[in-house]
Amino acid sequence: MASILIVEDETAINELIKRNLQLVGHHCVSVYNGKAAVDELGRHAYDLVILDIMLPELDGFEVFKQQSETPTIFLTARSSLSDRIKGFSMGADDYLTKPFEMLELLARVEAVLRRTQKTNSCFESGDVLVDFNSRQVFYKGVPVECTPKEFELLEVLVNNRNIALSRDKLLELAWGYDYEGDSRTIDVHIQKLRKKLGWEDMIKTVYKLGYRLEVKG
Amino acid sequence: MKRGLNLSMKNRTFLTTLILFLLAFNLGISIIAILTLQETVERAKERGLREHYIIVSALVKDFNAVQSREVSIEDNLQLLLQPYNYFTGEKKTGFAFLKGKQTIYSNRMGDVTLDNLTAPPENGDRLVTLRKSGENSYVIVTGHLPKPYDQYTMVYLYDTTSSISSWNNMKNTLFAVGLILSILLASCLLLLLNRLFKPLAMISQTSRNIAAGAYQTRLQVSGSDELAEMAHSFNNMADEIQRQMEALTESAEQKQRFVDNFAHELRTPLTAIHGYAEYLQRAAISQEDRLDALGYILSECRHIQGMSCQLLELAKLRNDIVQFEPINTANLFLTLKQSLMVKLEEKQINLSLSCETDTIYGDACLLENLLVNLLDNAIKACDNGGQIVLRAYQENGHAVISVQDNGKGMNEEVLQHITEPFYRAEKSRNRKDGGAGLGLAICKQICESHNAVLEFYSHLGKGTISKITFTIT
Repeated sequence: MASILIVEDETAINELIKRNLQLVGHHCVSVYNGKAAVDELGRHAYDLVILDIMLPELDGFEVFKQQSETPTIFLTARSSLSDRIKGFSMGADDYLTKPFEMLELLARVEAVLRRTQKTNSCFESGDVLVDFNSRQVFYKGVPVECTPKEFELLEVLVNNRNIALSRDKLLELAWGYDYEGDSRTIDVHIQKLRKKLGWEDMIKTVYKLGYRLEVKG
Repeated sequence: MKRGLNLSMKNRTFLTTLILFLLAFNLGISIIAILTLQETVERAKERGLREHYIIVSALVKDFNAVQSREVSIEDNLQLLLQPYNYFTGEKKTGFAFLKGKQTIYSNRMGDVTLDNLTAPPENGDRLVTLRKSGENSYVIVTGHLPKPYDQYTMVYLYDTTSSISSWNNMKNTLFAVGLILSILLASCLLLLLNRLFKPLAMISQTSRNIAAGAYQTRLQVSGSDELAEMAHSFNNMADEIQRQMEALTESAEQKQRFVDNFAHELRTPLTAIHGYAEYLQRAAISQEDRLDALGYILSECRHIQGMSCQLLELAKLRNDIVQFEPINTANLFLTLKQSLMVKLEEKQINLSLSCETDTIYGDACLLENLLVNLLDNAIKACDNGGQIVLRAYQENGHAVISVQDNGKGMNEEVLQHITEPFYRAEKSRNRKDGGAGLGLAICKQICESHNAVLEFYSHLGKGTISKITFTIT
């Protein structure tokens, strides 16, 4: 979906971010220091940079000063307010503090991409095409009738594809925090989506956890 | 409050001194005045007596002469006394001549009346009386003439008004001068006290400043008197307070840095472990990805474990007492070279050994650990093909081991902090070089356990010398 540059000197964490973003279909490139980041940003255009602040050679703020046109999410272990304020005042799009939750990372990336990208808002898999701009769903080229909640659930599943989401998390993401419904509501809506889109095999029930939309590639 | 006390103390001193002075001074003046008065009166009395005597003796001669011519004295008394008017021509004296109680002759007696008080005793002695009449004062001498004329009484009067008034003038002048002197003294005293109490006020102000946190405040030392000495001691005290405060602040900062760094050191592996666990739990991934993720989790766990081991070692080193045993330096160096051979060959670094002293005393295991750490750092600092010298020698009677490299070196700021736990020269705290960041902290602790001093000398781009000086032999 989007090409993302990950600048983080800790290999394990760099790899972790990369793997998570690849799960939901992003194209990722990893670099491990500030200088390489500047070089890479000069060479290729990226939709988003995930930028650690404490980097060898050039720190994150320096990298950002040199390449501030690319949307940027700062990543740091320092949760100090001054750092966050500095990041935002320099024009960062968002801020992520270590340790972070996988879903938080994906949600923030998604939010920044949605803000900064106007195009490329379609998802296609097999016979299903989802157009997020017109909020329409096509199955084998034929429009499928979806209620607003069904569409929102579908959007959550697509944005977090290949990742298992609990019923509570799905409720929170699709219905909102203040929804006081039964998690059975989710089961009902999932059944409807499976039937309408022919996704009986695609939306997997994950034991003891919830549901996962599995899409290859 | 303190200032108020000072001021009142100054005032008290001022008032007490001033009052004492005024008392003594005025008492002195009074005594002088009284003595002078007494002397003046005495002199007047003497003069009165003397002149009384002259007149009386002259009169007696005259009386004898008159009597030998057998003429009545009383008839010629006026004539006889007449000449003494000239004698008393001076306006300050007068006299009267009495027969029994009756005045038969009187000259310039002013407003003095003769009464019983001025009557002379019958035994022939003369009586001197002081008499004050209106503005004037007099000395009056009365006495009978000698026999056979003892029915006559001679009264001599001496006017002391002018003497007394000149004494009065002198007394007034004395008191006026005294007043001026007192005012002068009071102002001098005030100046002196101000000067004396100024240091006290300054000390009070300075100590209040120091108490309020301005530890760099000092007193100005001038001269070499007791005050200067006190100011000096005060400043020494302030120096000591400032030094200890700085040491405390530094140690508190160091502890804070330790906690911050420790939290950070934990956060990175925890982020990875948490992240990969979540990844395993939620993501639809292949068996291979699963093993990779598990590999990361295990390696981060090992990292935390290593860190906790090193922290424990550090804590243990602080409490343990080192067993000092002789260690052969040549053997120690060879062991070190062998154990580091792989790393040395990897970067083609030449490690040269120089043993100028045979034996050092300490715990072989700990010293090996220490030197491995230092050599490891030297290897990391060196580029490929670098040069490291490991030397044991004697300096000022102490055994010294030094590790010298020609690597990248460190700046002053880094040098100050390198032995702090978790301190990393690179701001990014890259862990790629390995280690938990406790290496040099442990080195320092090992040195301290050996009563040895660990020092670093470094120049950016030129290399670093780590030097261990053993103070126990």
